[in-house]
Amino acid sequence: MNKTMPPEFYKLMEDIQAVDFVLVELSLYLDTHPDDYEAVQQFNYYVKQSKELKKQYEKQFGPLKEYGASYSTYPWSWDDVPWPWQI
Amino acid sequence: MHTEYKYWYPYISPLDPCPPIKVKSYNTPPNLYLGFQPPSLPQFQPREALFHGTLWPALFSPYPNGREDEVTNE
Repeated sequence: MNKTMPPEFYKLMEDIQAVDFVLVELSLYLDTHPDDYEAVQQFNYYVKQSKELKKQYEKQFGPLKEYGASYSTYPWSWDDVPWPWQI
Repeated sequence: MHTEYKYWYPYISPLDPCPPIKVKSYNTPPNLYLGFQPPSLPQFQPREALFHGTLWPALFSPYPNGREDEVTNE
């Protein structure tokens, strides 16, 4: 029986992608507008949110990043399915 | 409101051996008309921004692929 991921896995992954996309856009914007205080505030708000979402994801579904950038589950599982392109 | 595509009609010489290309087009996305982006423009919600491909509605464009009937995809 192959493994299927619960719906909240997809919901959480989409939220993470949305927040990270906002961070990408704001980083590019801030490159040319370094003294836009409101944008920096928004950027830091979303950084906090991104960290929380990733923490929540990793608690439920295991590490997101490798080589010490994420805590590991027991047993070692970073090479488990689904890989990013299999989601 | 700007148009997504601009068209021009090249000169066709009577001596031209090949079938003429009557109309040429080029894409003009919104960022061309914005110049230096002003601060605190209205924004999409994160999820909407992800699906629109930009955080600011002012910069959104569906990037259509030109008018099929006119444009010959060479």
